[in-house]
Amino acid sequence: MERELCLSVCVIQLWMESATRKLQGDTRAASLLQLKGEGGGLVVLLHDAASRETRKRSSERPAHRGDRGIIIMSAIRKQLSFQILLLFISCRNINTKTLGATAPPLDPTAPLQKLERSYVLKGDSHTEKVELLNPVSLVLMCTWTGSQNKPTNITGFWSKDGKEIENSRVTVQLENKQYNLKRTFSIASEADLGSYSCDFGGEAKINFVLAVPQMGDERDKPIVSYLGDSVVVPCKLDDSKPTPNTWNWYRANETGKEQIIAGQKFSIKNDEKKTKLVIHDLTADDSGLYYCGAVYGVGITMGRVELKVISFFEPLKPFIAILVEVIILVAAILLYEKSRSKKDYTAAGNGATDQTNTLSSGENNGPEESSSMRQRKV
Amino acid sequence: MSPAPADPLEYKPLDGGWGWMVVIGAHISIGFAYATPKVLSIFFNEIQQDLGSSFSEIALISSIMLAAMYAGGPVSSAMVNRFGSRPIVMLGGLLCGVSMITASFGTSIIYLYFCIGVIGGCGLSLNLNASLIIISKYFLKRRPLANGLAMAGSPVFLCVLAPFNQYLLVNFGWRGSLLILGGLMLHCCVAGALMRPVPLPCKPPSYALEKTVEEQPNSGNTKLKKRFVKNAKKFLDFSLFKDRGFVIYLIGSIMFIFGAYAPIVFLSAYAKSQGVEEYSAAYLLSIMGFVDMFVRPGTGLIANSKLVRPRIQYFFSFALVFNGTCHLLCPLIKSYAFLVVYAVFFGIGFGMVFALIFECLMDLMGSQRFPRAVGLVTIIECFPMLLGPPAAGLLVDVYHDYKYLFLMCGSVILTGGLFLFVMNIYNYHMLDKERQKQVRASEVEMKLTPQAGTGQTEPEAKERNVALRDPENTETTD
Repeated sequence: MERELCLSVCVIQLWMESATRKLQGDTRAASLLQLKGEGGGLVVLLHDAASRETRKRSSERPAHRGDRGIIIMSAIRKQLSFQILLLFISCRNINTKTLGATAPPLDPTAPLQKLERSYVLKGDSHTEKVELLNPVSLVLMCTWTGSQNKPTNITGFWSKDGKEIENSRVTVQLENKQYNLKRTFSIASEADLGSYSCDFGGEAKINFVLAVPQMGDERDKPIVSYLGDSVVVPCKLDDSKPTPNTWNWYRANETGKEQIIAGQKFSIKNDEKKTKLVIHDLTADDSGLYYCGAVYGVGITMGRVELKVISFFEPLKPFIAILVEVIILVAAILLYEKSRSKKDYTAAGNGATDQTNTLSSGENNGPEESSSMRQRKV
Repeated sequence: MSPAPADPLEYKPLDGGWGWMVVIGAHISIGFAYATPKVLSIFFNEIQQDLGSSFSEIALISSIMLAAMYAGGPVSSAMVNRFGSRPIVMLGGLLCGVSMITASFGTSIIYLYFCIGVIGGCGLSLNLNASLIIISKYFLKRRPLANGLAMAGSPVFLCVLAPFNQYLLVNFGWRGSLLILGGLMLHCCVAGALMRPVPLPCKPPSYALEKTVEEQPNSGNTKLKKRFVKNAKKFLDFSLFKDRGFVIYLIGSIMFIFGAYAPIVFLSAYAKSQGVEEYSAAYLLSIMGFVDMFVRPGTGLIANSKLVRPRIQYFFSFALVFNGTCHLLCPLIKSYAFLVVYAVFFGIGFGMVFALIFECLMDLMGSQRFPRAVGLVTIIECFPMLLGPPAAGLLVDVYHDYKYLFLMCGSVILTGGLFLFVMNIYNYHMLDKERQKQVRASEVEMKLTPQAGTGQTEPEAKERNVALRDPENTETTD
């Protein structure tokens, strides 16, 4: 839409230029500025005109009048081409600044797809969700059965996102014991999405929430990975939602979202309703929020994933602590056993010669047969 | 031919004292053995994303670990017989720890199969069998209670490790979590340190005989073959199959294991299909685990009582029947409240069976034959355990209805329970007959050579009878 706007601006400016030239009596220059079709045609036309100009210039050989004519011609041509160049540069800039919405170039003459949504309200209010994929011409119909007293006329109006839409107040008649409100909206871009409400005299309200299909459950836990490792950041759309046109990935920074371009560090793998961002050679700077956007004709739905990059020493510290604890416990148990058996041994040694305590074999690896003897408990 | 049959238990088991520390050690060891394959599944999603493999490839890690754990039984039993429980449990703990630590550096799925699946599974199998064997050595009178307490390790560790693993995953990612989990598994070494060795009864004649057979020079193929057969016999003792009680027990437990795990795997999916939301469905399993935690020691306590102990095999078959009936009634349940009740009863049934499953084997085999028996039982149980959930899953895929799964599992377990009940009546009957024969035979002997009667309690007498029936016990003839 921006491009159409831009082209129309170009056309208007060029027409104005041509008008001024005509007024100045320079008909030849004025005829140059005839616009045929789109911007591309304009360039060709100008180029043609310029080449014709040079040919004409070479054929003309009047002495000083021609010279002055030539000077004037070339000056005008330079001025015009400079202006046209400026216009085109500004037009191109407008095109590239739109955030990622790579919508296919819409034929301005083709009508938008028509969609109808209606709701019959019996109570006070209701909210209806409308999922949109592509630009549509949306017709919203609200019907209200009325309250206890049914006045013949009430004032109804439409509002978007809480703000009343201008010139939308109408008087609604009671027909077949119902009040009807109907309005057509042109939903062409993300700015047109939102909450549209029809309000019946402040007593009843139906909200239509227009949105692109939303991402499913977002994972609230961060993905954890390690320095120097590579990580896969996934994003998934629910199976019930329609397939987006494409996927984009964004990185959150101070000024908002910045799109990620696939290259050496990042690679993006798209697979209909799933997408994966692979980040190689992780550094501490790579921690933060990443957004995956599913691009539909009318807008982008965002999913959020958090990435945390930690060094390998972080899990190593608790591991070493546990290792030390295990070694201490094992040593303590074995030492306790050894000291206890030594006590028993000295006590038993003083007793009858028959008794030999076999529990002194507290060593781990001694096979039991070699040190065990028949023990009789008293 | 031989002198008066020697008391097979040449020492009186402690039944207390340091035995309770051994129970704690066994609790830790068994807890890790049963809980680890289940809680690892918490990491699978992350690992699957990072390594880029499919979910079934990742789930295979758990299956390999369980298979290795059960299949390693005979080797573990043989090693325990040779070296005693303590070094084996410490080695098992070390293997588990090393497996998790090396797995944290993994970059391919095959590497994880080997590290976690094979090495981890072997470590766990060493732990499991050694812990069971040492309980049978330390306890006799209070053995059911000790078994119940030790087996309670499985639900306790499951309930503790599951949220802990989630916490680790959020803070350290899956690599750091595996590293720390490896450190935790080293606590099995601590458990091993607690398992003070018990002096083995020395059998000089038979042992010397075995030694001389082995030390003869290797001349000729026949001697080599005999040695090979003898070594193989050390691992898998097929002579156990001659024991009637053992075969009955084996069939019953195979039927139980086949139907036991599938309902656990599919419970939350079934709940979701009945309209329960995801978190509440997962909650059902935690309820089951929580109930299980208390039922196992409780069952051990009941099984220890004077009324139940002599008829413990009937109690075991009752537990199986209870479990089977529970599953059969599940398809009738539609609402969430009743599903919670089902989960509670499922927990009770499951806990009862698992508290008794090894106690009954010890009861049948006696502490002498138990190591060999448990090795054989675990490797045979490997098959129904691996076949059960996929078979149930197949039923769900074919009929698109979970009720057939529950009906199948319930009926298999119920049949197993009834089979055990009936066959045990027969078995006890035959045992009574044999005992009467022996009593009559020893009465005749006593009349000839008067001896002071040995004041044995009933379980001790039973151990003696069981050992007397042991074909490898060369001091008696059957």
